[in-house]
Amino acid sequence: MGLEKFKNRNVGTQNYKKLDLTHPPKSGWCRFKQVASRTFKPELFVGLWVTLREMINALFRGKMHTTQYPLEKLPISPRYRAIHEMLRLLESGHYRCIGCGLCEKICISNCIAMETRYDENQRKEVSEYTINFGRCIFCGYCAEVCPELAIVHGGRYENASEQRASFSLFEDMLTPIDKLNLQQEYQGFGAISPNADDNIKKTPLAY
Amino acid sequence: MDGTMLPEVTAVGVIIKAILILAVISAIAGFGTYIERKVLAFMQRRVGPNHVGPYGLLQLAADGIKLFTKEDIIPQHANRLIFAVAPAITAATAFIALGAVPVFPGFTIPFVDVYVPSIASDVNVGILFVLGMMAAGLYGPLLAGMAQSNKWGILGSARTAIQFLSYEVVTGLSLLAPIMMVGSLSFVDFNNYQSDGTWLVVYQPVAFILFLIAGYAETNRTPFDLLEHEAEIVSGYVTEYSGMRWGMFFIGEYANMITIGIIASVVFLGGYNDWWIFPGWIMILAKIAFSFFFMLWVRAAWPHVRPDQLMWLCWKVLMPLAVINVVITGIVMMAG
Amino acid sequence: MYEFIAFYIFAISTVILFLITVLSKNVLYAMTSLAGGMVMISGFFFLLGADFLGVVQLIVYVGAVMALYAFAMMFFDTTKDVKEKYNSPRLVFLLGGLMAVVFVVIFSAPIIGENLQVASPITNGVGNAEAVGIVLFTKYLVPFEVAAIMLLVAMVAGIILAGKKMDESLTTTVLPLVDKESEDEILKKESR
Repeated sequence: MGLEKFKNRNVGTQNYKKLDLTHPPKSGWCRFKQVASRTFKPELFVGLWVTLREMINALFRGKMHTTQYPLEKLPISPRYRAIHEMLRLLESGHYRCIGCGLCEKICISNCIAMETRYDENQRKEVSEYTINFGRCIFCGYCAEVCPELAIVHGGRYENASEQRASFSLFEDMLTPIDKLNLQQEYQGFGAISPNADDNIKKTPLAY
Repeated sequence: MDGTMLPEVTAVGVIIKAILILAVISAIAGFGTYIERKVLAFMQRRVGPNHVGPYGLLQLAADGIKLFTKEDIIPQHANRLIFAVAPAITAATAFIALGAVPVFPGFTIPFVDVYVPSIASDVNVGILFVLGMMAAGLYGPLLAGMAQSNKWGILGSARTAIQFLSYEVVTGLSLLAPIMMVGSLSFVDFNNYQSDGTWLVVYQPVAFILFLIAGYAETNRTPFDLLEHEAEIVSGYVTEYSGMRWGMFFIGEYANMITIGIIASVVFLGGYNDWWIFPGWIMILAKIAFSFFFMLWVRAAWPHVRPDQLMWLCWKVLMPLAVINVVITGIVMMAG
Repeated sequence: MYEFIAFYIFAISTVILFLITVLSKNVLYAMTSLAGGMVMISGFFFLLGADFLGVVQLIVYVGAVMALYAFAMMFFDTTKDVKEKYNSPRLVFLLGGLMAVVFVVIFSAPIIGENLQVASPITNGVGNAEAVGIVLFTKYLVPFEVAAIMLLVAMVAGIILAGKKMDESLTTTVLPLVDKESEDEILKKESR
């Protein structure tokens, strides 16, 4: 496709489909007929009925639409890139990070800083791991590059805090050991949100 | 107070009633804001205010505290005196109008044996008095808009004048037909006329609908809320108001809604007569509550009209209809 | 006693409000005090027991002053004082004084000539509105109808004045571009 179609700014000549609207009334008599028919057709009462029906739905059939946000939260899509989480191995409970340093390397805003050392078993151990959330742009490269699925983007999107440091230490991001059984495996970037089925709705123009 | 049947109606009684009206109606008017927010929320499948107190019932108190403690700002180039007086006009006229409408049937206080008619002042031209007072209430928006040296304000007050000149004729003419049938301008006579159980709306459906339409225009309710329509003129005449002055406009508006509800109930819907097994005071409360709810319902359902459409509607459609209604009523009365 | 007090309250406030109407240079003050004075006058009717007339005074003048406000809104900046221009102050003084004298003579003549007597005494059992209606359609039928015809004439005249160019829109009409001079000439020609 060439660029011609994009450069055509003449909106008047494009292939819009015109709805078959009735013509506006011309003579006074036609206008009067329109007014009379609109007055005596119960169109206005259809509007009243729609609102009343919605009220009945909301009050008695449990179709209230409000999510009372701080008290209840909607599940968040796995595609959303919120504050990072460090996951643990499910069997041993040890953290998954092997200290390879790929995330530090790939971070385009240079916000990940890590220090590693060898422990007594000659196994790499993470001694320092911080993410500077003043710099982080939540691009998601760190999670993508991680070979062990150790660092992922979690669901903590309420970022307001008095101190950035309260998000950014390794211990803060690590799954607490007593909540290991609640740890969610990362679905991957293409995954659909867990409540996707509920979100599918009929177009609300049924009336 | 024409004392045909009534024993002593002292000045004390009138003062007590006036205080009661002031206290009760301003409380109900404040509570009306809560009801309005709740009902509109339900009709849009929302929850509405629900955090302050059980079911958000104390939202009214929270709003009151907020309004009272808010800084009272008077803009620099505004006409200070008129700016300060305008909200008082709206609130005061709304309450004065309520002084001449009967709400409950008269009752006798037990033990003391004093008969109390439930109307502060039975003016024998009650309907005209109430309409005149509500019309005078529109001076509030008018002066407020003109005094605040704000373009939106002046647009709001221009719309006030337009709206007033539009609906006034319809209100008067639509009430004229029932007045002709009853032959009196007193609300009490209207009520007694319908004491046989037949509501006047049966004889005068057209007048009832016309009165409702004009009443909505009179109280700036939604199909005709031109004065302070946010999408067009920011807030109209209340653009520069804050704090308690703004609150007085609000209370006046809600008191007017209640007044229109009472007039519609007493004149067209059978007043405070007993109906079936229900005593009169329950009936009139139900009618007023329903007409209040209907105003909110209409607000949720219908879009509002342009000022020129309102003028077109009132002068070219409703006024001829009202005149025809009056003429037909007259012919039927002459024939019958 | 109460009526006495009420009468003086109404009288004093009416006089003060109308004085403000005449003397104030601010349109808003003048209009507001005019409206307030009209309401105060209706108070007299209520005092005299003429409820119907009082209410009619209220309704009619509320509407009339409201229309006046609309004009004030169009012609004046309501937040500023109006600068009045006197072409010949002497003429204004003379005419004003003459009118005042005429009014005083008109209203005081019957008092001087004879004591006032009630022309149509209040009949018991007939309400206020009925009494007004009876008088209006018997004794004063001809003036009433003449007034109605006068209003009709005024209405027709107003429609004709306003309706000349009603089918042309002021906002959407495209005027041919003209230079300032010729535009001024056209305006002059039109004003002639």
